[in-house]
Amino acid sequence: MFKKILSLLLIVNCSLLIVAPPAHAATPTPVDKIQELRDQLITNIASRVAQLKLVEKRGIIGTVISVTSTQINVVDHHGNTRFVDVDELTKFSSPNAKGAYGISDITKDTTIGVLGLYNKESRRILARFVSVITTPFIIHGGVAKIDDENFSISVTTVDGKQMTVDVENLTRTYSYTQSAGYVRSGFSKIKENYNIIVAGASNINDKNKMTAVRIIIFPEIPASPKINSMLERIQK
Amino acid sequence: MKTEKLILSFIATLLGLLVAGIAFYVFQATKIVAPSNTKIISLTTPTPMPAPSVFLTLDRPKDEEVVTSKILIIGGKTNSNAVVVVMTDSFEDVITPTNDGNFSTTTSINDGQNIVEVTAISPNGESATAKRTVTYSQEEF
Repeated sequence: MFKKILSLLLIVNCSLLIVAPPAHAATPTPVDKIQELRDQLITNIASRVAQLKLVEKRGIIGTVISVTSTQINVVDHHGNTRFVDVDELTKFSSPNAKGAYGISDITKDTTIGVLGLYNKESRRILARFVSVITTPFIIHGGVAKIDDENFSISVTTVDGKQMTVDVENLTRTYSYTQSAGYVRSGFSKIKENYNIIVAGASNINDKNKMTAVRIIIFPEIPASPKINSMLERIQK
Repeated sequence: MKTEKLILSFIATLLGLLVAGIAFYVFQATKIVAPSNTKIISLTTPTPMPAPSVFLTLDRPKDEEVVTSKILIIGGKTNSNAVVVVMTDSFEDVITPTNDGNFSTTTSINDGQNIVEVTAISPNGESATAKRTVTYSQEEF
C-alpha cells in the first residue's frame, strides 16, 4: 500500500515538471499575423517621422569661400559659414552659362543660391539645386551730399559707411510722407539729411559705389541720430 | 633681584616703543609730498548706450523657408508710430503698422531664392532691419 502511494506521488510530481510549450511555437493565427503587421507598420512610420523631423527642405543664399569636388563652403547674409554637400544628383545652373555648368565652374566670391535638404543634426545642406544668382544691394542711411552735375548722391549708412550712389534714368525714386503716403518722386526732391533707402547694384571695382535701381526718401524723418555727427562733418 | 631686573627691562621696552611710535607719527603728520610726485587716479564709469527706440519682429516668412506659392505674406510687429519698408528683389512697399504695432503685406516672389528685407524706421530716424531668404520651388526631392 505504501509503495503504491509513493509511486502515485512520483507520477504526480513528474507530471508537474512537464512545461507547457511556448505560445510563439504554436501555429500563428490570423490575429497574430495582423498584430505583427501592425507592429512593423508602427516601427516604419516612427522611423520615417524621425527622419522627416531631422531633415527639411531649405534654401540659402551665400558667397562662396571655398570649393572642392564634393563640398562648397559659403558665408550667408548673417555672416555664418555654411557647409553645402554636393553629390551626383545635384544640378548646377548659371544665367551666364552658355553650355553645361558644373561645380568646377563655381569660383570663390560667387554668390550662389542653394536648395537642398538641411540636416538639423549635422547642420549641413545636401544640395539638390545650386544656381549662380545676383542679389539686390540695399543700403539705409542719411543723405550726406548731393551732386547735381553728376546725378549722384553721397549716403552715410546706419553702420557708418560712406557710399556714392549713381542715379540713372531708369532709377525709380519714391517718397513717403504721412499726408501724401507713398508716391513717385524724383532726383530733384532729394535733400540733405533725408532718411533714405537705396536698392541697386554694387560696383565691382569700387565697393563704396553703387548704381541705384530704386530709391525711397522720407522727407519727414531725419537721418539716424547715430550718424548725425558724420553727416555734419561731411557737409562742412 | 632677578624679578626686578625683568620688570625694569619690560618697562624700558614699552617706553622705547612708545617713543618710536610718537616719533613716527610726528614724522608722517609733518611730511610734505611734492605735487610732481603725486598721481591722481580718476575712475570713470562707462556711459550706457541708450536703448534703440525702435524694435522689429518679423514673424513671416521664416528664414530659409521653401514655399510652393508665389504669393508671399510678410508680417510682424514693431512700434506703432514706426514706418515699415518692405523690399524684395522686384518689389518695395511702405506700410504703417496698426495701433498695436502689427503689420502685414503681400507680395509675389520670383523663382528660386529671394531676399526679403524689412526695415522699421521710427520718427526720430532710428531703425531696425530684418532679412529673410525665401525660396520658391515646386521640385520634389
